[in-house]
Amino acid sequence: MNKKLPALLLISVFVVATCGLIYELIAGTLASYLLGDSVTQFSTIIGVYLFSMGIGSWISKYFEKNILSWFIQIEILVGLVGGFSSTVLFLVFESIASFRIVLYGFVSLTGILVGLEIPLLMRILKDRYEFKDLVSKVFTFDYIGALLASLIFPLLLIPHLGLVKTAYMFGMLNVAVALIVCVSFKKEIRASKYLQSTSILSIIILLIGFVYADKITSFSESQTYSDTIIYSKSTPYQRIILTKKNKVLRLFLNGNLQFSSDDEYRYHEALVHPGLQALPYAKHVLVMGGGDGLAVREILKYPNIDSITLVDLDKGMTGLFQSNKMLLDINKNALLSKKVKVINADAFSWIKAQHKKFDFIVIDFPDPSNYAVGKLYTNSFYKLVKGILSPRGLMVVQSTSPYVAPKSFWTVNKTLESVGLKTIPYHNYVPSFGEWGYIIATEPENPYKKPQNYIPGLKFVSKESVDLMLFFPKDMAKVETEVNKLNNQILVKYFEDEWANVL
Amino acid sequence: MSGQTSYKADLSTYLKRRSFLLSVGLITGGIFLNGCLSKIKSKYNIKGSLNGPNAKAGHILRDKVKLPEATVFRKVKILIVGSGISGLSAARWLQKNGEKDFEVLELENHPGGNSHYGTNKTSSYPVGAHYITVANNDDDLLIDFLKEINVITHFENNIPYYNDYFLTFEPEERLLINGEWQDGLIPDFGVPEEDKHQIKEFLAFVNKLKNTKGNDGKFLFNIPISSSSTDKIYRELDKITFKKYLEEKGYTSKYLLWYLNYACKDDYGQKLDKISAWAGLHYFASRRGNAANAEQNAILTWPEGNGWIMKQLAGKLKEHIKTSTLCYNINLMENGNILATVYNPDTNITENIEAEKIILSSPQFINNRLLKNLQRLIDYSTFSYSPWLIANITINELPQSKGRALCWDNVAYNTASVGYVNSAQQHLKISEDKKVITYYLPLCDFEPTVARLAAYSRNYEQWLDIVIPELEVIHPEITQAIENIDFWVWGHGMIAPTKNFIWSENLEKARAPIENKIFFAHSDLSGISIFEEAFHQGIKAAKQILDGGK
Repeated sequence: MNKKLPALLLISVFVVATCGLIYELIAGTLASYLLGDSVTQFSTIIGVYLFSMGIGSWISKYFEKNILSWFIQIEILVGLVGGFSSTVLFLVFESIASFRIVLYGFVSLTGILVGLEIPLLMRILKDRYEFKDLVSKVFTFDYIGALLASLIFPLLLIPHLGLVKTAYMFGMLNVAVALIVCVSFKKEIRASKYLQSTSILSIIILLIGFVYADKITSFSESQTYSDTIIYSKSTPYQRIILTKKNKVLRLFLNGNLQFSSDDEYRYHEALVHPGLQALPYAKHVLVMGGGDGLAVREILKYPNIDSITLVDLDKGMTGLFQSNKMLLDINKNALLSKKVKVINADAFSWIKAQHKKFDFIVIDFPDPSNYAVGKLYTNSFYKLVKGILSPRGLMVVQSTSPYVAPKSFWTVNKTLESVGLKTIPYHNYVPSFGEWGYIIATEPENPYKKPQNYIPGLKFVSKESVDLMLFFPKDMAKVETEVNKLNNQILVKYFEDEWANVL
Repeated sequence: MSGQTSYKADLSTYLKRRSFLLSVGLITGGIFLNGCLSKIKSKYNIKGSLNGPNAKAGHILRDKVKLPEATVFRKVKILIVGSGISGLSAARWLQKNGEKDFEVLELENHPGGNSHYGTNKTSSYPVGAHYITVANNDDDLLIDFLKEINVITHFENNIPYYNDYFLTFEPEERLLINGEWQDGLIPDFGVPEEDKHQIKEFLAFVNKLKNTKGNDGKFLFNIPISSSSTDKIYRELDKITFKKYLEEKGYTSKYLLWYLNYACKDDYGQKLDKISAWAGLHYFASRRGNAANAEQNAILTWPEGNGWIMKQLAGKLKEHIKTSTLCYNINLMENGNILATVYNPDTNITENIEAEKIILSSPQFINNRLLKNLQRLIDYSTFSYSPWLIANITINELPQSKGRALCWDNVAYNTASVGYVNSAQQHLKISEDKKVITYYLPLCDFEPTVARLAAYSRNYEQWLDIVIPELEVIHPEITQAIENIDFWVWGHGMIAPTKNFIWSENLEKARAPIENKIFFAHSDLSGISIFEEAFHQGIKAAKQILDGGK
């Protein structure tokens, strides 16, 4: 037997150890990204992983013949399972119920397979070294591999390759070990041709995965977000990205920040309470946009509300906020409430066909950054909203920043006024967004009455803070603008100009 | 007229005809040959259809095919031949004035003429006329109609307020020039200062014309054309081409001339050198409609183009419209009534219809054949019709391009077509994965007669080979995104206001009713093919009948 071969096997111990630990780290990282609470996640993942390795070691005694061939097959299998682990986990993340099962299933399976590797290797090498040398050499390489993995994972792999590509890369390394061993020991292995072609095929499959990994989480995309992307999905309407840093979750739609979990309460409290608190008789509420359910969460705090209709274009968005555990924690299961009816429809077409009246209407559309969304800020649209607003009702419109985009903000105000509504503009400071604006609009015969007190438990809105919100300092003072119409879309132009200076 | 000159005239006509036949033969033969050779398939693998007005019916008229003897005889008080806008407008007027006994005969299996439209899974789309502009404020008849169909919703200080959903949504127009899409169609991006100056000067000049009235107190250029000033010095402009006029005025900027040429192609289907100066100026100086909620001269459009207006008209006339009914002969009866012979190609039945009055809202090239038994001193050869190709392209997504985003009207500088319109422009949906764009190609590189025959002889693949390369220039890599293309060929797309036409004696004669029995209503009698002219032609003919009956 060639003297080089034992050395080759020891190198494979090293690679196998590195790969094993990488898979464990990937699982741990993913779990803490997606499920939050990194201490618990890492701790349980490591526990399950080590335990599974133990199972693997125990099973190893049942392998009696053709150990080398078994070793190669297990290597290939570990490579495939580990390589695809992060892709599969990312893909099943949406359906949270099965996510944990899949996650721990993966961790156990990898653990068992990795646990098999070292005992099998030791048995292959047992005739080539003395026992004390064998143990010393194998474990030395094993631990060096572990050290290497734990260093390069956070320092090189995650920042430069991302989770998905890292998994595929180490999957390929794993299978490469299998292939090299297979070629080197071909005389000692039966069906070595078969094993060789299987490993080559596996490498190709993993390579394809590696190349197309960008479809799962685009690496270039991850560069544009300062926080870690933990979820991304392209729906027919938009690209949804969820990022996480420490405990803060951020949601981006087409690259625009929708909320940041640490200060979204400022935005949603300001959007809902000054209006709804003024309507003690309100029963039926309509929310347009706001598929994250955060405005609904605030509305549900009023026991007098019987029904909330949420109209959001994107099923991908409302579905996510109805199923993902982390997001359900943020919106307090708002979209699962019996009072809430979620309708996935195009707002303009939907409202044109509506006759039912609503006491409180929240309009929480994305900013008017393009002509398509711009239609939802026109006098034609507001005429339709006015048509389904009950006479004593009130509507509120998120109206971009009166500080950064005063012309845009006051255009929304002017457009609401142009359809015969009385407006109450106000604003507050949301750290993630900056100074933000909202406009309440009512029928002129039923003007807005400032609430004297608010429901308990609010973190931002109070009588005093609303007084401040209603005051516009000089740098946000009203400017004269045109009415935004379908045939001029003046708002989109203003918005582009004003935000161009900022972004 | 001596025999000698007559012989000469005959000879010259003969020679003219021969050279015409030769050129037609060469061109259509070439196309046919090319079609045979390229049977190996166009390099573009795109599906769709090639359509046009009912060719079979046209063939019957032209080639005097032997039709079955009339087996039905019936009487109708008033017959209207043709259900384009002028015919429908005439019918509407009769109906409005209490007339019940009238019929509109249409040879196609649908009403609408040039305002026909199509619908597929993605959208409705025009195959012909696709917009109108805000009505001139002195055009009471049109304003009444627009109010009737809720295009005008109400009036603010006597100024019409137009339906917000019909005024073209922003973004409205863009022009691809010097590598970028700019806002609006008037060349600006990368245009030298001197050219910009000439453009400005021209626009200021036509703007002044727009607001100028003649000695008779009428606007120099108005809609309908018949209400324009009769001042001779302006009517003289009809005797020279727009090209010559611009040369005389010293306009040399290639950008300005491109823009004016585009305008002539867009509205008249012909280039500057064919169109009369009067018609060329009319395009710019006749529209001064004010709206309470839009800028002057704003555009109104619908996904199905003018098909939408047509439906409003035809909807109320359903029982009166007889489709698939080809009128192919008209005779004066001894009792003073009209006898119209009509044939239904679907049932293969020929009918004789006796009518007291008849309105021919068919174009004059058809009337020429319908009235073959009547001696008329009209030179039909002065009626020149521009052929058009319309391509309705269902597209997944337009490739990204530099500059302004997709608009309703999208034109590219120095291309054969006059661009494309987005039929989804008036859709309210925020997000649509597919859309239909309607591409307009005036076939004006040859004489209309030649271009028409050439157009008729092209097959689907050959149209692909004409249209796709230009689309690729406008939007590189668009071909992969195309799902389907439906072509529509208009052999006689629209009347071309060539020189010495609009204000000619010949046209005046063609407009004149025959013996208070046969009346005429078609936009070709105005000399320009726009909705408003057809609308007024229809009313005028209906009024002639109603007034004559009193």
